[in-house]
Order: sequence, then structure tokens, then C-alpha cells
Amino acid sequence: MIEERVRITNRLGLHARAAAQLVRLASGFKSTVRLERVDGSASADAKSILSVLMLAAPRGTELRAMADGVDEREAIAAVSRLFEEGFGEIEH
Amino acid sequence: MSKRVKKELKEEHWKGLGVSDGVVVGRVLRVHSGTQQVYRAKLDEMDMRREVRRLRAAVRLSRRQLLAIRTRAEKELGVAHSYIFDAHLLMLEDNKLIGEIEEFILKERANAEWAVKVVGDKLLAVYAAIKDDYLRERGSDIEDVTQRILVALSGGHPSYKNLIEDAVLVAEDLLPSTVAELDYTKVRGMAMDNGGWTSHTAIIARGLGIPAVVGLRDLSRRARTGDPIIVDADKGAVVLHPSARTTDFYRSQKISQESRTSVAAEKFHGPVRTLDGVDVRLRANIELPAEFVGVAKFGAEGVGLYRSEFLLSQRGPMPSEEEQCEAYKEVARIGGDAGATVRLFDLGGEKISGAFGDAERNPALGLRAIRFSLRWEKVLRLQARSILRAAAFGKLSIVLPMISDLTDVRRARSIIEEERVKLESEGKRAGTVKVGAMIEVPSAVFVADKIAREVDFFSLGTNDLVQYLLAVDRGNDDVAEWFRSLHPAVLQSIKRTLDAARDAEIPAVVCGEMAATPAYAVILLGLGATDFSMTASSLPRVRQTVSQIKYEDAREIAEKSLECATADDVEELVRERLGAKWPQLFPAQSLPAKKSKV
Repeated sequence: MIEERVRITNRLGLHARAAAQLVRLASGFKSTVRLERVDGSASADAKSILSVLMLAAPRGTELRAMADGVDEREAIAAVSRLFEEGFGEIEH
Repeated sequence: MSKRVKKELKEEHWKGLGVSDGVVVGRVLRVHSGTQQVYRAKLDEMDMRREVRRLRAAVRLSRRQLLAIRTRAEKELGVAHSYIFDAHLLMLEDNKLIGEIEEFILKERANAEWAVKVVGDKLLAVYAAIKDDYLRERGSDIEDVTQRILVALSGGHPSYKNLIEDAVLVAEDLLPSTVAELDYTKVRGMAMDNGGWTSHTAIIARGLGIPAVVGLRDLSRRARTGDPIIVDADKGAVVLHPSARTTDFYRSQKISQESRTSVAAEKFHGPVRTLDGVDVRLRANIELPAEFVGVAKFGAEGVGLYRSEFLLSQRGPMPSEEEQCEAYKEVARIGGDAGATVRLFDLGGEKISGAFGDAERNPALGLRAIRFSLRWEKVLRLQARSILRAAAFGKLSIVLPMISDLTDVRRARSIIEEERVKLESEGKRAGTVKVGAMIEVPSAVFVADKIAREVDFFSLGTNDLVQYLLAVDRGNDDVAEWFRSLHPAVLQSIKRTLDAARDAEIPAVVCGEMAATPAYAVILLGLGATDFSMTASSLPRVRQTVSQIKYEDAREIAEKSLECATADDVEELVRERLGAKWPQLFPAQSLPAKKSKV
């Protein structure tokens, strides 16, 4: 299993559209992909939109992204990139 | 079942919050939302597998429906609003929902309906506890999805295709997917138990220019499809089973849908002229793509106001330059030779609170419209670039919303100019755009003569002007009687603004819905307004009025009204003079009713 820290930079946080993007992306990998608040208060299955939405994570939230499986490296890289790019929203 | 006695049903009155303008006399179309009764059945061992298959079939059916809805929503509401159905589709694939429902069926030997309800309710309870407003509201999406599965389980398709004529939607609340499934062209009004000024219902109703009243508590439980109903969004009133007398009263009002459609059928086109030869331009205010067709249909001279914030979904991401550019090109195409005016994002805390900062205590006086664009300069630059590029393909102008000081105009203009230079240096085509100011804040009225020298035109936003001038929130029912469009201070402000525009020789377009009420339009004309923009469907009746009066007569009445001391005096004067002068146009009951403070 590998993990990487990600930070929510897009202004809207993990709202429905961002969550949908994340779930579509994560579902394309064989590995399990999970997100966890760094304070450990909540975690989510990145392949479940309901689970991701329940993280209720606004901008600025620090998360641990974890992948476990045959393509865990690719999965983490892709997920991190999505977070870095702010889910395609314009930055400020 | 109780026996239904066949007799005239008693007239019933409801009071709610009017979230758009206008009055409609129509028939109820009851739309169900999430209250379907579900019963539990205990299944035999053998039936459980079949029940899971039944659930899966219902999920597949729901999925097909949602795919179709998403496609339609993209086309009619724009990409920014269709993403929500993407989320719905993912919920249908979500193990957390579907997996748990299947598990529940097997473990509890429950029927699929009961399982959907129990699992759905459990999830809803979790969402209800979330602190973030936006995410908590996503609970309505779960409700929407589970409701869809329930309907699919009963073998049905929530079809609103066969809308009756003059349909007035009555529901507890409109779910996003219901809104997307509706055939807007047939909906004449809306009346909802829940919802506020910024609810989905309100946004859609204002976009379509149809009357809507929300906050009616238990109306949906009393109304049945086909029941006669009157929705008066101006007063926030709803009458169910109206008596013949009440119906006659409303029907005779100029603002009723009846007169709108009958006049519309005559299809006037081209410029309209008063009896004494003053030309008046009538343009359209638009927002939703679904409204675009009305611009040509109702003979508007171009688009006087395009509310660009529609491109932003309530909390979705900012549309890209390409997406915006395409949208503005389309608006320019709709505007045709007469052109189209794009109002820069009129955003405020209430529309995207939390996204760009904390919720404001007083959003109407907060970081909104031009202030917002100047603070988040990237938003302004992106929008300016998109409009400039689109202007290479059609006639477009820009209007700056909520100008309160000339400095805002200067800053915005220089940013727009910088973007033009940038585009040229990048070798991209940019068209010429005129830049105007919305005059809707009292301070702008006072310095209108100064602003007029530095803009290409004025747009008078009467809705906001009345609200800011009289310090009355038009969304607050408790102060509705203080919202007086004919207050002498409002009329004087309009006069002052129109005079400043005339002296500086720039055009002034009156954009608020005030102009859509013929009696008000006469006063506005009398004050010197000859350029109006309003919901397209209101144009025919205003056109008819303008073509049957003399400007000189309107001017005389307007001048008298400027001397009045109170809004009551103005209204009394208008009632008396318009009724006496043009009895055929303004029968007594068509004039604004007396609003007296209790």
C-alpha cells in the first residue's frame, strides 16, 4: 500500500462535480483507493460518491490518499494530479 | 374511500412568498416528490433472488432515464447544471447505496421498495447531520435517486410529457431531475410547499418568466391534478378552486397569462410607435437557453439583458473561456442585428456562499456583482476575454452590474481594455464592445451625469433600484407592502437617470420587470424612457399598450406623478388618470391594487 498527502485547493471543495470526477477516476483502477482526513476523523472509499461526499471536505482540507493493489502507483499519481489541478476549476 | 360529493369546491387561499413576477390562472399539475407511500412485505426464501433482480432492473431503467435527462439538461440548461445528473448516475452505481439495498433485501427478506426506503432514509440521516450547507443539501439528490428507483420499481416512468394546457406545477418542492424532465414551454406557473427566494423553483421560474409562489406549507396535500388554481406571484398569493368571480377578476387583469397569450398570438414585430410618433424599442431579458426562442417569437429587438451568471451553476466550477465564448456567441446570434447586452456576473454571497469566502451577513449589500468581479479579477478577465472573442462573431455589449461609484466603471473598463490588447497580441480576434453601467444603486443615480460621460449606455435596473432606494428586500414577505415601484423617490431617480443619459447623448435601457406592467410602462415612457427590456413573453402586451397611447399624454401624467408626496398618491393618480384616458386599455381592475399598510 502506498499513500500520499493531498490538499483540496479548488474553491468549492469536494462538491458533487469534483466528487464525481474523483469517483470516475478512482473506479478506473484495480486498487482500492481511500481518502482519509489527516486528523483521522473521517475516511472514505474513493470509488463511492456517497462516501466521498460524506467527507464533507471544504477547500484547504488535508487528506491522506491511500491506494492498495496492483496499480497502486498509477492510482495515487492520478488522484494526486486531480487534486493538484483543482479538479479543473480556475484558481484564484 | 370517502365518497366525493359532486359540488363546487370552496375557494381556498394560501399566502406564501412570490419569487418571480406575474399572475396565472391555470390548472394544477400535481408533481410528486419523495412522499410515495412504501409498505413492507415479508418475502419467502425463493422470492428473494427475484426481488434482487427486480431491483437491478429498476436501477437499469433509472440509469437509462438519467442518461436521457443528462443529455437534455446539457442542451437546455447548460453543462454547468447537468453535472448534478452525473452525480446521480454515480449514486446508482454506488455500492454504498445499491449494495446495501441488495443486502437489506436478502438479510431482512424485504421487498425492494422497503429496502430502498430504509437504506435511503439511513443515508439521508447521515447527510442531515453534516455541517456544510451545500453538502447537506445533497441529501435532496439521494432522495431524488431513491425516488426514481421507487418509481421504476412500480414499472413507471415519471412522465410529465403530457402536460395539460396552462399547467401550474404543484409539489412539496421541485427536485432537480423533475425540473430537467419538464417541458418548460407548457408550464405556466409554479406553487410549492417549500423553498425560498434562491430555491431551484425560484431560479427556474424567474428564468422562464413564469409566476411562482413558494412556502405554501400544505398546498400540495390539498391540490389535485386538474383543479383550477390561481398563482399571483406579485402578491405571493395562491387561490385553489377559485370562484367564478375571483377567476373573472384575475382574468381581466392585464398581467394574466390569458392576455399574454392572446396578444402574443397576434405576433407583432418591428419597431413600435406611439400614436404621436415616438419610437420605442422593446428588447428581451434572457437567462435560460429555454428562453432564447422567445426573443424572436415575441418580436424583441435584440437582447437588452443577458444574465450571464446563469452560466455558473450554484456551486459548480467556473466555466472555461471556450465554454463562455460559445455561450456568448449564441447570445449574440439570438440578439441578431439589434445586438445583445451581456451583464457581467451578478454574483453575490447568496448565490455561491462559502465558495469564495464566508457567508455574508448582508449579501445584498456585500461583495457582489462588479465588486465581486473586481475582487476576483481573474473571473472578470476570463469573462471579458470570452465576451470580446465572441463579439468578433456578433454584436455584443457589456453592462457592469451594481455600479455605486465611477471608480468601479474605470477599473472595469481598463481591465476589459487590457484583455483586448492581450487578445490582439496573442493574435486572437476580438470584436468591439460597448460598455455600459447598470444604474440600480441610489449613489449612482446621484452621480449619473458623471457616469454618463464615461460609459456608452445606461441600463436601469428597476428591481434593484427600488429595493436599494426604499431599503426593502423584495424577497421578504413581511415588508412587501413597502416595496413600491411607484414611490415618488423611485420615479424621481428614474427621471434623473434618464435626463443624465439624454444630456450625455447616450442610450438608456430600462431593464427591470417594472416595465412589463403596462400601467408602469406608460409612466416610464412619460418619464422619457423609450428603450425597454423585459421577459420576452411580456413584450406583446406592452407593445400593444405603447402603440395605442400618445407620448404627450404619458408625459403629462408622469410629470404630475413626480409632484406626489407618497406612493399611495402616485398609485391613486395612475389609477384615475390612466383609467380615464384609456378605459379600453386599463379597465379599473387591471391597475395595480391599492396597497395600504395595516
